[in-house]
Amino acid sequence: MARVIRSSAATLATGYVLLAFVALVLFAAPLRYAWQATIEDFRFELLTEDSQRLAHVYDLRGPTGLATFIDERVRMQIAGERMLLFVGPAGQPLAGNIPAWPRSIPTRAGSYTLPVDLDGGTTMVAMVLTALPGGYRLLVGRDVDRFAPIEQRFWYGLAAAVGVLMVAGIIGGVLIRNALLTRIHGIQQTVAAIMRGDLSHRLDVRSRGDELDTLAQTINRLLEQVEQLVHGIANVSNSIAHDLRTPLAELRSRLEELSLTRPPAEEAFAEVDAAVADVDGVIRIFNALLRLAEIDSGLRRSNFVAADVTELVARAVEFYLPAAELKGHALSFRDPGPVWAQCDPVLLAQAVNNLIDNALKFVTGGHIEIEVVRPAEDSVAVVVADDGPGIPERDRPKAAQRFFRGDASRGTPGVGLGLSLVQAIAKLHGGTLELRDNEPGLRASMIIERGVSAPGAASEQQRVDAGGPQHGLEITA
Amino acid sequence: MKILVVEDNERMARFVTKGLTEAGHTTDHAENGRDGLFLAVSERYDVIIMDRMLPGNIDGLAIIDALRKADNHTPILILSALGEVDERIKGLRAGGDDYLTKPFAFGELLARIDVLSRRRRTDAAQTTLEVGDLRIDLLARKVWRGPRAIQLQPREFKLLEYLMRHAGQVVTRTMLLENVWDYHFDPETNVVDVHISKLRQKIEVESERQLLRTVRNAGYMISAEPPPTASVTPVPPEA
Repeated sequence: MARVIRSSAATLATGYVLLAFVALVLFAAPLRYAWQATIEDFRFELLTEDSQRLAHVYDLRGPTGLATFIDERVRMQIAGERMLLFVGPAGQPLAGNIPAWPRSIPTRAGSYTLPVDLDGGTTMVAMVLTALPGGYRLLVGRDVDRFAPIEQRFWYGLAAAVGVLMVAGIIGGVLIRNALLTRIHGIQQTVAAIMRGDLSHRLDVRSRGDELDTLAQTINRLLEQVEQLVHGIANVSNSIAHDLRTPLAELRSRLEELSLTRPPAEEAFAEVDAAVADVDGVIRIFNALLRLAEIDSGLRRSNFVAADVTELVARAVEFYLPAAELKGHALSFRDPGPVWAQCDPVLLAQAVNNLIDNALKFVTGGHIEIEVVRPAEDSVAVVVADDGPGIPERDRPKAAQRFFRGDASRGTPGVGLGLSLVQAIAKLHGGTLELRDNEPGLRASMIIERGVSAPGAASEQQRVDAGGPQHGLEITA
Repeated sequence: MKILVVEDNERMARFVTKGLTEAGHTTDHAENGRDGLFLAVSERYDVIIMDRMLPGNIDGLAIIDALRKADNHTPILILSALGEVDERIKGLRAGGDDYLTKPFAFGELLARIDVLSRRRRTDAAQTTLEVGDLRIDLLARKVWRGPRAIQLQPREFKLLEYLMRHAGQVVTRTMLLENVWDYHFDPETNVVDVHISKLRQKIEVESERQLLRTVRNAGYMISAEPPPTASVTPVPPEA
């Protein structure tokens, strides 16, 4: 893995240098073109202009006049900068600063850039040749090599710039590589520690909040979720093992005792019936766990339909009403009118039933209040509030954990999966289960997202036949 | 009744066939899909109990599919360890008439078979149901015990209607939950029992004869005649 990082850092640095180089070339190319096109064209323009002026002098004063004019000009000028030559029809030099018409130069009029032998050396000369009336010819030229140093300096400059870029690129690349390696090494160490089994490690997040920090934060969140899941699974496995061991141990001892004591048939069958009940308890735990797994997998989202939550809750209240009455408790439910939500009605009904079931188990003062409220436009909450012992503040976050049983639940039926199921169902519906103090008692709100809003025209289903306040059920339309 | 049991697990098959025989039924047993399909098409059965996962290339749903395509409408109860809601729906869509998840109570199985086998008779459009002197009018939604009119809440009416449609048959708590309340889960408290006792208070007052009975280890039964104990409280055979 280290090699991959190293090579990727080196690639990054090389890439930087190459990119800078390409940028420089792209910058130098138009400059070179400008030099070529503008400066040289301008040079010939100047030479042509000069030639025309001299031709004008010839027109006015004739060959002798031009020769004198050229001689004067040559005397005034700095040697070598400009070349002038005026020759007669036979090619004999009449005036100028070069001794003879150079051999390599053509005689026809036009513009040329040619090497010329002068004083033994060869120089590049840009020249304009003009044919004058009477067979006279005029050469006006300029030493191009005089500009070579400038051109050279330009190339040197360019080379120096490339050099600086290379060095800066390499240093930059190394620095980036080192910085990256340091941080990636940190990530690697953390991940290695996590892989060894210590899930509490987290990546360093600097305050700068750059891309790597964002990545580190994302990974940390992922790690948190993984840690939670792993602990959840470990807890659940432990709890399953523990909670199943108790009824299984009971069952085993019951059967063993039966086998050892061989009691009379009547007694034996009673024991067998009790054993079957023990097994049913275990099956109930399994069923609840399977249901939870089914919900957690999220597969049941495909069964979502629009349903009236109020109707669902009203039915659950009606379902539990006789049981509540029998225990001398009152269930009260205010009907807020239809509240439609996109949901799985089977699961939602189970969640509401679990909440009421739970409240019925713990209620002491005899009053359970059930409400359907809308905390926001796009959500709906089913609230079940009892006046039982409630759940102490410190236990509340754990209350919905699988197999959690608070102190108050000792001696009551159930295996501690009811609220887990409610929470899982709420989560499937994009919501949560909130547990609050009802002073006294527990106020459990299952909040779910409504999803797409429902058919407004759909009429309310037939409601609970109230049965009057003596049943503790109040229904207000 | 003649019942075909298609079940590959030997112990489970013995438990079911023995229990059914003791309840007075005759049974055939097939331990794989091919034999099951062969028996189902070549003999006439009142009910078929079908496991879903079977050895061989034919599974339970394939057999049901083949039978239904051959216009065979023998009531089929699917008995499967696949208990998820979606699996249940799949089984019923394939042509099964009822679905029971393993593990199960034998009383539950027996009650469901009884209801399945007699379904055709009760499906006929009836407007009144009578058990002894208890009479309900399904259209007017009224109930009388002899000359006495009884006031029932809508859900109580539905509960009584279901019981009376299956008069003389054992109806389990799960069956009531599914058919009267449309709930497909078991509440932890004995809510159904409370509903039944409330209904009983309304339909049996003072010296009136008992019609709605509790059947131990199974459920409830509404009937005018005192039942022969053997068929109502089947002793579950050893598993």
